[in-house]
Amino acid sequence: MSPEATPAPTSVEQAERMRELILEMAIRARSAHIGSSLSIADILAVLYFDVLRRDRPRPDRFLLSKGHAASALYAALALAGDLDEDAVVSGYCADGGRLAGHPERSVPGVEITAGSLGHGPAVAVGLALADRIDGSDRHTFCLVGDGELNEGSVWEAVALAAQLELGSMTLVVDANGLQGLGSVDDIVTLEPLADRFTSFGWWVADVPGHDHAALAAALSIRDRRPVCVIARTVKGYGVDFMEDDFRWHYQSLRETDRERAFCALRRTRRVA
Amino acid sequence: MRDAFVDTLTELAGEDERVCALTGDLGLDLFDAFQLRAPGRFVNVGIAEQTLVGVAAGLALAGKVPFAYSIIPFVTSRPHDQIRVDVAMTGAPVKIVGVGAGYAYGSAGPTHHAIEDLALMRAVPGMTVLTPADPREAAAATRAALATPGPVYLRLGKNGEAAVVPPDVPYEPGVARWISRGGDVTLASIGTALPIAIEAAGQLGERGVRAGVLHFPSLRPFDTLAVLDALAAAPAVVTVEEHNRDGGFGSAVAEAMAESGLPGRLARVGMPDRHCGQVGSREYLMAHVGADAAGVRAAATALLERTRMRRAA
Repeated sequence: MSPEATPAPTSVEQAERMRELILEMAIRARSAHIGSSLSIADILAVLYFDVLRRDRPRPDRFLLSKGHAASALYAALALAGDLDEDAVVSGYCADGGRLAGHPERSVPGVEITAGSLGHGPAVAVGLALADRIDGSDRHTFCLVGDGELNEGSVWEAVALAAQLELGSMTLVVDANGLQGLGSVDDIVTLEPLADRFTSFGWWVADVPGHDHAALAAALSIRDRRPVCVIARTVKGYGVDFMEDDFRWHYQSLRETDRERAFCALRRTRRVA
Repeated sequence: MRDAFVDTLTELAGEDERVCALTGDLGLDLFDAFQLRAPGRFVNVGIAEQTLVGVAAGLALAGKVPFAYSIIPFVTSRPHDQIRVDVAMTGAPVKIVGVGAGYAYGSAGPTHHAIEDLALMRAVPGMTVLTPADPREAAAATRAALATPGPVYLRLGKNGEAAVVPPDVPYEPGVARWISRGGDVTLASIGTALPIAIEAAGQLGERGVRAGVLHFPSLRPFDTLAVLDALAAAPAVVTVEEHNRDGGFGSAVAEAMAESGLPGRLARVGMPDRHCGQVGSREYLMAHVGADAAGVRAAATALLERTRMRRAA
């Protein structure tokens, strides 16, 4: 069969495959942050397979600031061809592996080292500034969690990006409403998020975070101002017993959970 | 030293298009010439030091060579996590420039005193730590910062310092230089503490003690061989630094001496392990904590006395 005969997988299909990889990594590594990764699988799938212009001399950039969702990034990079799929599964959080629980720039396709929260937005401003100096039209995307917005450094960078009118920058907020020890609204809420970003001088799109068409439209917005896409997501999305439960920020899956987790994933897919 | 730094940086901006300058809203009029020379390559990020370092890291990862400027504690302590993660862990060629070594901002109070930065920065993997002594060396160190791959911390005094390093002594990171030789004791100093060591050597000379002065123009790379050379010249070393005695230059010399296995005794002069609790100029505060030339002289005299007593016993 010639390659042309096989249509490229849609971003929805890629997101489904990413979730399988995320679960596989989590089970093998007995690692945490599964809910955080499942939360952003759709956003990353839309970015990597629909929005990012990567096949050019100065490719668009994606910065994962909420580094604890690294397994989602590795899954996207594996499907995009930057990383080997088997190596991603075997190397994640493994002794002697190359893929830590938080991403490092030394990994192909990973733009920034992350894991200490609140760093990505300022680095994104610096990258976008460099593009302005160079006269490049590339776009820089940075993904933060809504819990991460607790970090004051995020707001320093948000203010500066507006001041500099960095229209070549899009900040995506993974607004799943949950952080380490509970709900964002119960800990330090920053709602109304859209109003806050608007008042900081940003162009804001508030969209359902698992709706690929809505995400693709929002992530394609270009303005004189920097753009903030608030993606309303569900932590643990796709695995019903994890969904919207902050405990899956830290809880890990066992090998004996494998059947239950993958069944849940298949169930969600049928419903969708 | 500040003017020497910025004049050199402005020259470098004309020679190398990668050079950018960032400030956290400090340095009144300081970057005017730079902005004329390199339009679009200067940014005042506002009073936001975490963003100062983060933006610098972004520029550096995109191929620029940004110099990020502020007062030492604000550019080393405040954004230390950005230095660790965004700069050091990625190896981004960010040049962090701190002004106000030790008590240079004396009367401004302890928030502005820089007594922890050498310890902090020398513990960061891959960080080069440059410690020029005077304006000529500050200019040379600025060029060295650009020439050095990867992250660099450049520690400056303030402004208006006298020339202390003889003009024929080249500035080279990792190479300590004998300013004068002496067979009884070596006064090893780092960066802006050099004039204190020179003055103390003079006072000791008047009392018949031959004190050599060894200047360290960088903490990283650290010139371990120079420490061995000093021990060969005299088995008594006094370190002189404008920094907490613990964790900085004196500690680095102590480590080198201990690991060398060579006989020798050490006294460390610097800031005590507390905030100084006094108001006054750099000179006033240095005298108050015993880190001026008289303090160095006293430390050297006591060290030699202990050495003699041990020999006699």
